[in-house]
Amino acid sequence: MEQELINLQAQAKDQLAAVENGGQLENFRIRFLGRKGQFSTIMKGLGKVSKEDKPRLGQMANSIKKEIEALYDEKQQTLSTSIGASSADEGTIDLTLPGRKPQTGKLHPVTQIMNEVCSIFESLGFSVAEGPDVEHDHYNFEALNIPAHHPARDMHDTFYVSDSILLRTHTSPMQARIMETQQPPLRVIAPGKVYRCDSDITHTPMFHQVEGFLVDRDVSFADLKGVLTIFTQKMFDKELELRFRPSFFPFTEPSAEVDIACVMCGGSGCRVCKRTGWLEILGAGMIDPEVFKMVGYNPEVYSGFAFGLGIERIAMLKYGIDDIRLYYENDLRFLSQF
Amino acid sequence: MKFTLDWLKEYVDTGDLSPETLAEHLTMLGLEVDSVTPLFPELQALKTAKVLSVEAHPNADKLHLCEVAVGDETLSIVCGAPNVRENLVTAIALVGTVMPDGTKIKASKVRGIKSHGMLCSERELGLSDSHEGIMELPSDLDHGIPLLEALGIDDLLVEVDLTPNRPDCASVIGIAREVAGITRTPLTLPVDAATLVHSNHDFSVDVEDSEVCPRYAARLIKNVTIEPSPWWIRKRLLAIGLRPINNVVDITNLVMMEYGQPLHAFDYNKIAGKQIIVRHPKNNEKTFTTLDGEERTLERDMLMICDANEPIAVAGVMGGMNSEVSDNTTNILLESACFNAISIRRTARRLKLASEASYRFERGVDPGGCVTAMERAVSLLCEIAGGEAAQGGVDYYGGVRPLNSLKLRISKTSALLGIDLDYDKIADVLQSIGIRCKPKDDDTIWVNPPTFRIDIEREVDLVEEVARLIGFNNIPTSLPTVSLSYPEQDPIRLLRNQTANLLADMGFSEAINYSFVTEKHLSMMQLAEDDSRRAQVQLLNPLSEEQAVMRTMLLPGLLENLKRNINFQKNAVKIFEIGKVFTPQGENEQPVEKERLTCILSGLRAGEASSLYYSDDTVDIFDAKGMAELLLETLRLYGCGDDAIRFRTPEKNEAEVFSDSGQCLLLDSDKGIVGQLSRLLPETAKEFGIKQDVFFIDLDFELLSSLKAAAKNFQSLPVYPAIKRDIALLVPANTKAGDLLDTIRTSKEKFIEHCEIFDVYQGKPLDTGMKSVAVSVTYRSPTKTLTEKNVNKSHTKIINTLTSKFNGSLREG
Repeated sequence: MEQELINLQAQAKDQLAAVENGGQLENFRIRFLGRKGQFSTIMKGLGKVSKEDKPRLGQMANSIKKEIEALYDEKQQTLSTSIGASSADEGTIDLTLPGRKPQTGKLHPVTQIMNEVCSIFESLGFSVAEGPDVEHDHYNFEALNIPAHHPARDMHDTFYVSDSILLRTHTSPMQARIMETQQPPLRVIAPGKVYRCDSDITHTPMFHQVEGFLVDRDVSFADLKGVLTIFTQKMFDKELELRFRPSFFPFTEPSAEVDIACVMCGGSGCRVCKRTGWLEILGAGMIDPEVFKMVGYNPEVYSGFAFGLGIERIAMLKYGIDDIRLYYENDLRFLSQF
Repeated sequence: MKFTLDWLKEYVDTGDLSPETLAEHLTMLGLEVDSVTPLFPELQALKTAKVLSVEAHPNADKLHLCEVAVGDETLSIVCGAPNVRENLVTAIALVGTVMPDGTKIKASKVRGIKSHGMLCSERELGLSDSHEGIMELPSDLDHGIPLLEALGIDDLLVEVDLTPNRPDCASVIGIAREVAGITRTPLTLPVDAATLVHSNHDFSVDVEDSEVCPRYAARLIKNVTIEPSPWWIRKRLLAIGLRPINNVVDITNLVMMEYGQPLHAFDYNKIAGKQIIVRHPKNNEKTFTTLDGEERTLERDMLMICDANEPIAVAGVMGGMNSEVSDNTTNILLESACFNAISIRRTARRLKLASEASYRFERGVDPGGCVTAMERAVSLLCEIAGGEAAQGGVDYYGGVRPLNSLKLRISKTSALLGIDLDYDKIADVLQSIGIRCKPKDDDTIWVNPPTFRIDIEREVDLVEEVARLIGFNNIPTSLPTVSLSYPEQDPIRLLRNQTANLLADMGFSEAINYSFVTEKHLSMMQLAEDDSRRAQVQLLNPLSEEQAVMRTMLLPGLLENLKRNINFQKNAVKIFEIGKVFTPQGENEQPVEKERLTCILSGLRAGEASSLYYSDDTVDIFDAKGMAELLLETLRLYGCGDDAIRFRTPEKNEAEVFSDSGQCLLLDSDKGIVGQLSRLLPETAKEFGIKQDVFFIDLDFELLSSLKAAAKNFQSLPVYPAIKRDIALLVPANTKAGDLLDTIRTSKEKFIEHCEIFDVYQGKPLDTGMKSVAVSVTYRSPTKTLTEKNVNKSHTKIINTLTSKFNGSLREG
């Protein structure tokens, strides 16, 4: 037994010294160190030696094996460092082959942008609330100061389910729903799906919005500008030029539309910004006193602002998507890009 | 709202503002300029030409051979117009010009004679319907100059996207007022203000309901001659896309565009009883023919203008055939009224009839401006149509409310806008657009908005005006001071985000489908007649059959997505959707909205990964099961001690009708069945045009979120080594591997830590009807190192239990 071990040690050392490339080294490993290699065979033989010899021989076998292993490692290192210098030979690994990677999927770009928008406002202390897609006329219109036959209803091509039930045309109903049940101070955003019966290259009949509002004592239009400036600059990752422009929404007064300098052309004018250099990205304003009155808030005590933005539009601007219909075809060639 | 710069300059001096700067100013005042474009771009290339000589065409009776001067050039042109004559100045399309109808002018031979261009009629240029001859331009015009310049329409068209609160700006003068506020210059109006001497000598006016018709003014103009309008009126109308008709109609349209006041001209001779009655239709008045020739169905609450006998116009929307101004009309009754916005809007909607007039009435017309606009039209009718205005007229204003003075607090304005303001600053900006102010006390201003600003009713409306005029961008930026609070997180939203991220990590891409679908999905999924998902929320006005009902399941949409991807050669598809399904309740009640999670798997298991490393096996039911297990384990609802969810095979009728019941598992919980995973029946897949195997996982997401996740409890790491023993059992083929494992797990033997199946084999050399199942059992004691002896005893017992219970035997070698 002992002699066998010594012979094996010598043999292994000789052979290892003669190894010149990775292939030979691998052959060596299999022959001596592998699971069915010579060391393993000897180790198994240890079971048959007498009890007195066992510890000694076991120790010896182990130390010889360790020695060979160390020599093997050393050889391996020598070989691998010399690969660069040696001409390409059969035993080297072709690292231009692709990596072996697990398959993962992607979240829908709308979800990605939605998460980004929500997390910016959550970081500012806004809570998130979600409401029903199929809504009462009351919350979608009346409670937002849009009575029946108001011309502003023209801005909302509405899908109806019955006389008083409809698919919400914006996420603003959540303003009324939340203010009805909670008292200021409030800081809330309401993301969700909205619907308009309109379909062409720039409109899909369903899209996503995020509504947000903040109500407290002494909230001003300047505050609205401040919060939306933070949002816009975080969303578009740069010190982007921003402008607030008067507009009209029945539930805010004053109302504003917020434009950013065109992210496509940097403001010099292009097809996307219709040569204006500006892109409209959200609507906002100071909550109209009528809306407060309808939920029982005293407009002399409280003031607040609200804003709404379209997720698809932001995704289009951030990712350069030029056809809004792609969003709902769920083509993997599209989804996998984001 | 459209206007041209030249037109605007009739009323206000724009100073040295460039068109771009002017547009920028208007936009920043809330009058968003959509575009500023040259007028008639299609006529840019046309030139003026002077006919030098005309000879008969040798080969055609009706054609002429002309020599024409165009600047320095002299061209020979063949022309068929009867009015072509020496010294006529007309319009020419030179060779290469593209005409408004798209044809390109070429040098071509007409009956053997070469023609180098075309002399054009007004119709060919899209300027009128006149095609009797070529255009006749003033003879003192130079030839060779651009036609647009010669016609005085070398102008810029401005389009403003008006918000519904600014009907006063649906007029060129309205825009001019805003511009005057920018340039601080006075307005020049054709008629500034006017009153009317009352006279009902020639006709009477009765308004039955002052609520729906607050004001009605009318005047008689006699002896007009109906003919085409002069060019200066036609060019204004053409510029903004209105078709000139005749001088009377054109004048009413022109003044409407100037002042924003819709006017209507009746043929006075056709008005029975010389009476105007503003009323709702009578019971027997069921239909009415509007002047576009359409017969309209009337409803009780519509407002009509009637004579002594019958309706002659739909108030504020469109006139009637029976009182229309025709070529023979000599006497005109001119109406200038103010109608209730809601009433007009309702009528226009119901008649599906939108006109320039109804557009303005729906938004609100200045009740103070009726007579002023009427007087402007009267003077034009006299001047241009040769009319003679009868003395006085009727001005009913029973429904016009007196104007209120509004109080505006300086402190409130400053606080709401976040900017320091004083009386001078506020009064300065408001007065620049004609809103009168006077101080009441230190903090309060009396404000009198003009009648045309019907949108200003409250203090906050004035605050908006102040903000708008100061400029939103001149208001500072600040951040609200708020007390700290913790925004509570919606658990279902958190779970949704977590699940979506997990599924994406597991290789699924997220789909978002429309909430409305085709009703056909129900039959494509072969749902039973009594399946509750057949009850759907129907849209009253869907865009198409494909999007007519609210979905009750997510799977059909995902199957359509799969089909689409297969069509584009993406056969390996793993997608999921988390979305709402809708269950109808009563009429006028909101449906119940519930979130579901549905995943589908189909095609290659390794997806797009290189076949260099991965086999090209396709997914099977164990992929679906494994994905579900992994998801639920991560959510700690399964495989974490107390399982909130258990997988089991369905009882009869528990599997979906579209499931392969032999490859279907239910996910059961104490709160009911959470969902199932299954192979889709190939017949169902075929309904969607899918030929490959499809597997799905479909879960009630809300039920899932209501289940209690297992707590994370630390277990001490084992100190003593484990012993692993394998068992190869030969059992009847219908034996369930899970039952074998359960038997081991529930056996009373000590030290069993874990057991798992590591091989299942059926086929030669085994007897048919038998299979080999290899189980590995791990034994471990928390208190000592187990010996062979400890384990052997338990292991033998387990083998005996298994072989006897499952009618099996230990497989040799």
